Amino acid sequence: MTATPTAPSTRLRNGEALEEIVRPHEGLISRRIFTDPEVFELELERIFGKGWFFMGHDSEIPEPGDLITRSCGMDPVVLIRDDEGEVHAFLNSCRHRGMRVARVDRDNVSFLKCPYHGWSYKNNGQLLNAACENHYGEGELVKEELGLIPVAQLGSYQGLWFGTWDEHAPPLDEWLGDMRWYMDIIFGRTGGIEIMGPPQIWEVDTAWKFATDNFTDNFHVFSSHHSLVELGMLPNNPDFAAYGHMIVPGNGHILHFVQGEPGNDHYRSLGLSPDLREKFGEFLTPEQKGIADDHGYSAGTMWPNFHWLQLISAGDMEAEEEAFLNLRMETPISPTRTRMWSWLAVDKDATPEYRKRVYETYVRTFGPSGIFDQDDMENWEDCTRANIGPAARRYTLHHKMGLNRATATDWPGPGIAYPDSYGEMTQRSWYEQWLTAMGANGNGARS
Amino acid sequence: MSQLETAGTPVLPHTELYGRVLDFLHREAEMLDTYKFDAWLSLFTDDIDYQMPVRTTRFLTEGDGFEEFGLMSENRASLTTRVRRLETEFAWAEVPPSRTRHFVSNVIVEQEGEELEVRMSFIVTRTRQDLDYQMYTGQRVDRFVPDGDSFKISRRRILADQTVITATNLSVLF
Repeated sequence: MTATPTAPSTRLRNGEALEEIVRPHEGLISRRIFTDPEVFELELERIFGKGWFFMGHDSEIPEPGDLITRSCGMDPVVLIRDDEGEVHAFLNSCRHRGMRVARVDRDNVSFLKCPYHGWSYKNNGQLLNAACENHYGEGELVKEELGLIPVAQLGSYQGLWFGTWDEHAPPLDEWLGDMRWYMDIIFGRTGGIEIMGPPQIWEVDTAWKFATDNFTDNFHVFSSHHSLVELGMLPNNPDFAAYGHMIVPGNGHILHFVQGEPGNDHYRSLGLSPDLREKFGEFLTPEQKGIADDHGYSAGTMWPNFHWLQLISAGDMEAEEEAFLNLRMETPISPTRTRMWSWLAVDKDATPEYRKRVYETYVRTFGPSGIFDQDDMENWEDCTRANIGPAARRYTLHHKMGLNRATATDWPGPGIAYPDSYGEMTQRSWYEQWLTAMGANGNGARS
Repeated sequence: MSQLETAGTPVLPHTELYGRVLDFLHREAEMLDTYKFDAWLSLFTDDIDYQMPVRTTRFLTEGDGFEEFGLMSENRASLTTRVRRLETEFAWAEVPPSRTRHFVSNVIVEQEGEELEVRMSFIVTRTRQDLDYQMYTGQRVDRFVPDGDSFKISRRRILADQTVITATNLSVLF
C-alpha cells in the first residue's frame, strides 16, 4: 500500500499513521481527519501554530493608528499601523493577565490600554505604562521586555498581510513561491485592489476542511447550485465550468482558471469592465496578461485556508452579469464548528458606479445570504454530521477524478498545470501538504 | 413624553390605525412561517429597498456599528429571485425547508404624512432537519405606504444584533 516511512511519523492513538489513512496519491482521504478531536488537536499545533495566515489588507488600515482585530491562525491578533506608518500584528492579549487589549472590530488609536489593570501600549506595541508602577521593586517590571507579543514573522504580498507563529517557517515570499505569479494576476492586474467594507463573518457547524476542500472544486457547481440553473442564472450544461486548467504551484497552494466553452467569449478578461481590462498590459507580463485575457473565472487557495474567488454572475434573474473578487477564509473553532470570513475586493481604479454593481452582484450571490453560497454551507454541515460516528470514520472519501490525467505542456505559467478544470488534482495536492505539515511521511520529528 | 424620540407623529396602541399595522405585521409573519412566499412578495412596493447591513463592534462614541456594507441588499427583482429559487427543488439550504417562527414585538408606529414608519423588535427562530434551534434577533425599521385599506412596504432595514451571524447562513427571509 504505502511505503514504510524511514523516519518517525505521526501516529494516532490507535496506531494508525496519518499517511496510512490519508492517501492523496490514490485519491483516498480518511473521513476521520475531518471530525476527530485527536486530529484537530494535532492541527492546532502543527498547522495553526506554524503556518502562514491571512490577517487583513493594506486598504483596511490605511492611516497611522488604524487597527483591525483579526485572527492569525486561531489566535486573536491586532493588525495595526503605527504612528510611523509601519504595520504590526500582535497577539491581542495583554502581557500581564492576558486580557484582550483591542476590543472593537476596528479603531484608530495612539495607545492600546488594557481595561483590567490599565497597562497601556503604544501603537507599535511598546509597553508605556503598567499599573501602580511605584509598587514594583527593582527588576520586577522590565518594560522593554513586556511589549505586546508580535507574530513570529509578518509579511505582505500585493497588500495582503500574512503572519505566522513559527519563527522557523520559511519567509512569506519563499512560502508563497510561484503562487505569487498568479496572485499578481488576481490582485495586481490593474495596479492593486482594495477591500470594500468590513468582512461578513458567520459560523457554520462544519469541519473546517470540508469548506476548504470546496474552494477548489468546480464540478460541484452544477449540482450544488442547480437552483440557479433552473432560474437561468447558470448555463444548463454540466460541463460549463470544465474549460480551463487546474494548477499546482507548490507548497499546497492551488488554483484554477476557467474560460468559456470553445466559441464562447463571455468568460474572458476576468469579467472586468473594459476600462479595467485595458490596464492589464501595464501591470502584467505578456504571459500573465494572456491568462487574464483568456479566462473568466479563477479560484485559488493560499495554503491552508485563504482563498480568492474571481467570479462572474448576475445578482438576480433580471440583472446583467458582473464580475467580482471575493476573498475567503475559514477559522476553525472546534473540530465541527468554523468561523467563515468573506471580503469583497475591487480594483482600486474602479468607478463608483461600477463598484455599486459589483457590490450588489456579490452581496446577492455570495456571503451568508448569497443565493449561491448558502447551499454550500448546507453541504458542509451535512458532510460533517454524517462523519462524526465511529463507523463513518473508518471509511474514506473519494478524490480520484483526474488521478491519471496528463499534465498540460502548453500552459504559460509556473507550476504543474492540468488541462480540464474538472478534477481533484488540486485537492490531492492540498492533502499532500496537509500530510507534510502534520508530520506524516517521515516528518514526525518536525513538531 | 419629551424624552421620547419621535420621527413622526406617534400612532398610539389603542387606535384603529395601530391595530391595522399590528395585524399586518402578524399576517406577514404568518405568511413567512407557512411558506406563502409569493403572497409575501405582494406586500412590497415595486421600488422596495430592503437592506440588512453588516454590524461591527464599535465604541458607542463611533456610532451603532451598522456599516454601509450589507449582509443583504435587495430590490424587487432580487427578492423575487430568492422566492423563485425557494420554489425550485434544488435550493438545498431550504430543501427540505427550515421551520421558522417570526416574532415581532415592541411595535412603534409613527405617521409622516401619508406614510408610516414602523419599528419593531424581532426574533426569528429556525430549526431544520433534526437540528437544534438557531436564532436571529434585531430591530426592523419599515416604511409603510397606504394601499387601499391596507399597506405596502417600501423600505425595510433589518438591523441585526449580531456582528457574527452564528446561525449557519441567511437562507431565511425577514
